[in-house]
Formats: sequence, structure tokens, C-alpha cells
Amino acid sequence: MSGTGPNEDDMIRAGEYALGLLPDDEAEAFLRDMRADAELHAAYLAWVEEFAGLAEEVRPERPPERVKKKIQAELFGAPERRRLFGFGWWSGGLVAALMLVALLFGRDFIGPDVPEPALVAEIAAEDRGLVINASYAENGALRLERSAGAAREGRALELWFIEGDNAPVSLGVLPETREAELTVPEELRPRMGGAVLAVSDEPPGGSPTGAPTGDVLAVGEVSDA
Amino acid sequence: MATGADIESWIAKLPLGDRKAFDALYNATSAKLFGVILRVLKDRAASEEVLQEVYVKIWRNAARYKANGLSPMSWLITIARNAALDRLRKRKSAAAEASETLEDTLADPAPGPEALAIAAAGREALVACFGELEEDRGAAVRGAYLDGLSYAELAERHDVPLNTMRTWLRRSLIKLRECLTR
Repeated sequence: MSGTGPNEDDMIRAGEYALGLLPDDEAEAFLRDMRADAELHAAYLAWVEEFAGLAEEVRPERPPERVKKKIQAELFGAPERRRLFGFGWWSGGLVAALMLVALLFGRDFIGPDVPEPALVAEIAAEDRGLVINASYAENGALRLERSAGAAREGRALELWFIEGDNAPVSLGVLPETREAELTVPEELRPRMGGAVLAVSDEPPGGSPTGAPTGDVLAVGEVSDA
Repeated sequence: MATGADIESWIAKLPLGDRKAFDALYNATSAKLFGVILRVLKDRAASEEVLQEVYVKIWRNAARYKANGLSPMSWLITIARNAALDRLRKRKSAAAEASETLEDTLADPAPGPEALAIAAAGREALVACFGELEEDRGAAVRGAYLDGLSYAELAERHDVPLNTMRTWLRRSLIKLRECLTR
């Protein structure tokens, strides 16, 4: 912490909190203060980062194989559970958002010239800083409308098709325009329903490796329109 | 030996449901995290359960990792150490729930996350700065972090009154921060 960091008392409290030493009432008060104070949060994270260095003196110990099996069973065991767990952090809001999207598409987007979307998805960041609505027609056309956010400066947005455990397949780099249309490769079309679409941050022109290399910025599940 | 960049790229792939990345991450980091948890809990069966909880948390929270600005290994170690501490405190006193919220504070930054450039010093500075503390003071900070000891337990271990221990600890934090900021 340099210059204008938090005062000494806050700095100490952040350290005590990071060590887990504050009594319950003081810990709660600290947590409240930290939620409202980015500097205090940074002071806490600095301690967290530094104290984690102490773990270097801890001898690694290989856990028994059964632990990994249990983790895999918990995360990937039954198919329904896997999806619920794997994407648990966004699924709640997504269901509501998808219903809304379906309503919007139902009302506004069906014109005589546009094939009726069979499937839709809202590909959204958790903080909704990036939102892309996707609608898919049986002929393979995937229409995208970006309603919030954009690629970072000097970077590109790349769209990925993810089905179950398979490696993500690129559907292409999104143009800078708000609206775009991509064609879903024929072999993926039968599997669009239930797939997940994700947008990652990539260098201009897209991922050089064929797999996502940057942050995953937004995710959305494909469902019936 | 996996590099920080490897670990970071595996974490980045978890939100895409990439099980291969998860497998690689587990293989590269589980021994360290298990060691950290065992050091706190000193009980293999409980440590195995906590390790399982930790990797489930990592899988579920991976999309939020970037927001906190920690190095990938620090993030993983902190989740493991906090989960072990939660287990320890629950075992000791049902009332000590405050550390439950530690995970949230890692994943859920206060307003203005872009401003949160963490001014943390590196590992070498940490070792050097611990070296500047009197030996028993440094041991107390280590005991709190690595063994999950409370003020009362630290006071007992070092055979000093509780208030003295708290004063020691707080002075040590001031010295460490001064040194780490140099």
C-alpha cells in the first residue's frame, strides 16, 4: 500500500481479518466496511496475496485417489446435476432472462422476412456488462444482437459452441457491429438445443489456438424460443 | 511443474465446462492444497472432505476469479485455507461463522474493481520481512495463518496474556506492512 492507502488501523484490521483473528463482531463490522470501501478491500487482498506466500513452506501431500473420484462424482456425476452444478453461478438469472428474451422475440422479431427463431439464448456477463441476444433458425442462421458491452480495446469477441464435456467449438469472431449473423456449421446444428454459447476475450482475428485463450466474458444456454 | 500461467489458463477454462482443464488443475495443485488443509486440521479424513469442498468451490467460482486480482495460486491457497479454517472453527465453536464470508469477499469485490490494483509484495520480500520480525512474533503470525490459531490459542502457545498477544500481532502487521511497502 503506498501513498494514499487506508489508515493504519484499517490496514491492521485488514491483516487480522485476513488471518481470521478478528472476533466475530469485529469481523462482521470489518466485512461491512470493506464492502463499501474499495481501498479497504484492496488492503485486505494485498494481505491475502502476501500471506498465501507462507504456504510455500507447507509440504505438499498427495491426496488419495478417492478424493478426486468423489469430486468428479459430485461435479459431473449425473447429467442433470452436472449442468446445474457446473453453471450454477448463472443459471438462476438466466432462466428468467431467457423467458424475457423469448417474450421479446415472440412479440417484436417475427416479421414476414425473418425465419421464425427456433432457439434463443441470452449470452450475458454476470454483471450484465456484456449482453448478446442470440436467435437461431433451423436453416443454420444465428442472429446476434449485442445490447450491452463491446470488445476490449484492441481485442475481439469470439463466440463458442459448447456441448456437454466436449471442447468448445468456435462459431467465429463477432464483428464490431451491434448486429451480426453467423452460420452454424451443419454438423453442430442438430445439437444446438441444450448447447451453451459463450463469448471470450481474444486477440484480433480470434483465438490463435482454436480453443479459448482469454477470459470468458459471457455465457448463455440455448433453449426453445 | 505447472507455471502460474498454466494454472491461470486452466482456471479460465473452467466456466466453459472444460473438464480436461479441471483435471490438469487438480493434478497440479491438489497436493499443495491438501498440505495446506492438513496443516490446519491435522486430521486426514476431515482434510479429504474439505479438499473435496474446495475443488467444488473452485469449479463453481472460477468465472469470478479474474475480478479479484489475486495470483492464481494465492486464490487457490486462500480458498483452501479458509475452508479448512471454517471447518476448524465449526468444530471448536458453532458461533464462529464469520470466516464463512471470506469466500464472498474474494469473489465479490467492493465497488470499482478496476481500481483494485493489488499492491502486494512478492514472495522474497515476504521472507525478508518476516526475517525482520522477532522470532516469536513471526511465529505467531505464521501460527495464525498456517495453523489457523486464534488469539487465545496463540496466547497459550506463546505463554503470554491474550491482550499482549493481540498487541504483538498488530505491531507485527504494522512492521510487515512497512517492510513490504519499502
